[in-house]
Amino acid sequence: MTGGPPGPPVTRTTSTTTPRRHDEEEPHARDTEGRPETMKFYARRIAFYAVTLWAAISLNFFIPRLLPGDPFSILMAKLQRAGGIPAGTENSIRLLLGAAEDQTLWEQYLTYWKNVLTGNLGVSVTNFPTPVTELIGDALPWTLGLVGTATIISFVLGIGLGALAGWKRGTWVDSLVPSTTMLQSLPYFWVALVLIFVFAVSLQWFPIIGAYDVFHFNGPEWSWAFVGSVLYHAFLPAVTIVISSVGGWLLGMRNMMVSTLSEDYVTTAEAKGLRPRRVFTTYAMRNAALPSLAGFGVSLGFVVAGSLVMEQVFTYPGVGKLMITAVRNNDYALMQGVFLVITLAVLAALFLMDLIYGFLDPRTRHHD
Amino acid sequence: MIRGKIRGRWLAAAAALTSVTLLAAGCSGSAEGNDGGDGTSAPAAEGTATDQELVVWAGSQTPITPNFNPYAVGVLHLANGGIYESLFAYNKLQDVDPTPMLAESFEWNEDGTQLTVKIRGGVTWNDGQPFTAEDVVYSFTNDTAKPVYLEDAVAQDESTVVFSFAEPAYANEFAILGSTYIVPKHVFSEHEADSGEDAEGNALQGLVAWDNAEAPVGTGPYMLDTASNAAYTAKANPDYWGGAPKVASLRYVGIDANQSAEDLLTTGQIDWTTMFVPDPERVTSTGGFGYVNTPVDPVVLYTCSNTDLGCEGAQTDVAVRQALDAAIDRSAITEKAFVGLAQPISPTFALLGRDDKWIADGMPKESPQSADAAAAGKILEEAGYTKDADGFYGKDGKPITLTLTSVDGWSDFNNAAKLIEEQAKAAGLKVTASTISWNEFADARVSGEFELIMGGVVGTSLADPFQIYREWFTGDYTQKVGTALEPGEWNISRYDNDEVNAAVQAASETNDEAAKKEAYATVQEHIVSDLPYIPIVVNGTQTFFNTTKFTGWPTEEDMYMFPPSWQGPSSGVVLGKLGGAE
Repeated sequence: MTGGPPGPPVTRTTSTTTPRRHDEEEPHARDTEGRPETMKFYARRIAFYAVTLWAAISLNFFIPRLLPGDPFSILMAKLQRAGGIPAGTENSIRLLLGAAEDQTLWEQYLTYWKNVLTGNLGVSVTNFPTPVTELIGDALPWTLGLVGTATIISFVLGIGLGALAGWKRGTWVDSLVPSTTMLQSLPYFWVALVLIFVFAVSLQWFPIIGAYDVFHFNGPEWSWAFVGSVLYHAFLPAVTIVISSVGGWLLGMRNMMVSTLSEDYVTTAEAKGLRPRRVFTTYAMRNAALPSLAGFGVSLGFVVAGSLVMEQVFTYPGVGKLMITAVRNNDYALMQGVFLVITLAVLAALFLMDLIYGFLDPRTRHHD
Repeated sequence: MIRGKIRGRWLAAAAALTSVTLLAAGCSGSAEGNDGGDGTSAPAAEGTATDQELVVWAGSQTPITPNFNPYAVGVLHLANGGIYESLFAYNKLQDVDPTPMLAESFEWNEDGTQLTVKIRGGVTWNDGQPFTAEDVVYSFTNDTAKPVYLEDAVAQDESTVVFSFAEPAYANEFAILGSTYIVPKHVFSEHEADSGEDAEGNALQGLVAWDNAEAPVGTGPYMLDTASNAAYTAKANPDYWGGAPKVASLRYVGIDANQSAEDLLTTGQIDWTTMFVPDPERVTSTGGFGYVNTPVDPVVLYTCSNTDLGCEGAQTDVAVRQALDAAIDRSAITEKAFVGLAQPISPTFALLGRDDKWIADGMPKESPQSADAAAAGKILEEAGYTKDADGFYGKDGKPITLTLTSVDGWSDFNNAAKLIEEQAKAAGLKVTASTISWNEFADARVSGEFELIMGGVVGTSLADPFQIYREWFTGDYTQKVGTALEPGEWNISRYDNDEVNAAVQAASETNDEAAKKEAYATVQEHIVSDLPYIPIVVNGTQTFFNTTKFTGWPTEEDMYMFPPSWQGPSSGVVLGKLGGAE
């Protein structure tokens, strides 16, 4: 899945689409006959997403079962490494995993659908007996809080600096482009390890693990000290994410900015004698940011997947961590649960972007 | 002063007890004399009382699911030893008698079908209820825990429990006395009907479905205090039968990456952990940490050796296995792959230094440390193999090719496999080392579909290689290739030799050292030449502990118990002995 940081899915270097001008409205005639057309567009979209959803949820069931190994043998190997199976636990393993062979794949598939529709995602084997919904429920706030915030910071920073770099093309600001893209090309976990080594181990300014001080608090609580601890612990992980994803946004924005600046309406605005600041924000930046916004919508959907490497390196209790655990242990229920949530989030984000685009740009509503 | 005195008394007591049980063992069936005076006093805590929290990493990763049911698969480390205790605690590292915990003494009848255990008096559960012989009986006879070989367990009187077996059960002594946790009947019997769901969403009923996460009732030195998905804490049990622990509280944390744990160690944020650190100097050089390396677990090449059970590949020919064994340069592997932390292995699978008495006369004590390519070639030529133009041995024009896999990311194993590939090549054997995922590894082992795997063997928990012989080498503990091994079956190589099976059976039926040695001689004779597992090294287990804040740790000089933080029930014994260092 997404091994790297949540960032722009594709780095755009050039763009041929011409941003629309706000004062150039479409002919009015289209609006009257556009109604059924619009309805058809939305119906088509909804049908498309329904089919995608069905396919995704079905794949979600089958893919984990294609993995080599079965939970039973993995559990056994794991227990052996942890010092052998204590007397008495053997029976438990049989009880816990023994029933799996009684059902055919088809029966399991039907049960799975029934469970998905009733919101019962099953019980995790690795975290027995916690229900999968509870595990995901515990992990989601941390992931959304940290990865979500870091993604937004990275986007805002990237767009802002990218716009500036495009605006002041050729000056020192432009040198941001190679330096940030270099940062992005560094292996993600390596950045995290270096940050930890320097700031957490050598200087000891920041903590090494956790979403809060696990050596002090006995669990989440409502107090200012706890909130402070959470923010303090989120700093290094957030910096890691920002460092390794800001470059993509910056580069895309800068290049869009450059091509937007060569548009006629910008020249017109400048010729009208508008203040450069106004030309920069209202004319150039606003239009140049449109394609990046689309990418941002998708990366927000992927925020739910968490950040595998970051969560592993910082022992951060997010969804990505659950996913690794589930895949390593062939914990089908947990795997399905996590994949389901990610699939739903990404599809929802895409659907929303589709609708918004259909709304913003009438051209996309036309099939041919 | 005080510390020295208490310790001295305990040692004397232990010595008295040792001599008594030794007598009993030497002459099976004899009455076990009274343990004079306070001969059964608990291992008392050392040092001073301290409020400093002891932070432990026992290998848990986040999220931690609070589960303190010793019958559950996901039971947390504190429960095994810290909360629940066994009747005796066995020292995995030394040939000594087990430390009495909830029992004071045990005795076998003449033919090994009855085991009489004297229960410790004056022990209470941490909810105030007295600990009785009925609790012991319940711990062995409830539906979840009852072992198949146990016929019955009866409380003869208030302090005596008699176990009876259909067949001689000497071999199960450790399982009964040393690895079964004693649970309170008055609590556990109320949860027998608990229900939950299994991995596939089917109904699951019984004790297994219970997480025991609300104030678990045990006899151990610690009681659960708080639990979250990041860490859990425990406080000292003031009424502990061995005397209230001196360290007031413990904190077990979850850590996802080894690197984080190493960083936390070097910055002094965790006090007790057992983990692989390639450069232990880096941790101990800070001055605050002690360190012991306790090698117990053999590292071997599993070979799928038995064509009768469906194994395929060149390694099914014993000559190929012997040639490979001769071609391996173990000292190079120890130095380069295991960074000097591993120890030489005995091809008899007796742990050198601990089990030396079990190595039969005429058997090689150690596997050769250096490679002997000439000898390897000779073995192959005698078996009818010839060298081809490329310098590789083969038969009928087809060179021997073997795939050696190891789990991706186990860097010591990966490096060792690479070295073996080179060493085999020097001897004319084409071995290709590759890495596989953990899942594939686990799957290959239980299904038997592999040629060579770099893997581990669990070291035995007492000074006797019997457990390895039975579970890794006999036909009863294996399945056909393609059929998954059952829990407790470890014969991954599918080795099945009638003489070995019979000798292991004979050894299980006796408690007489001479008779056992004779049986082991037969086993060793076969496994040393058949090599279903090609021995490589005995892998180290590194334990680090904070000596600035705490005292009472097992050290090289006084290895009173196996030190790893994740091992139950011995970790409970260690916890009971700790105290503040000033």
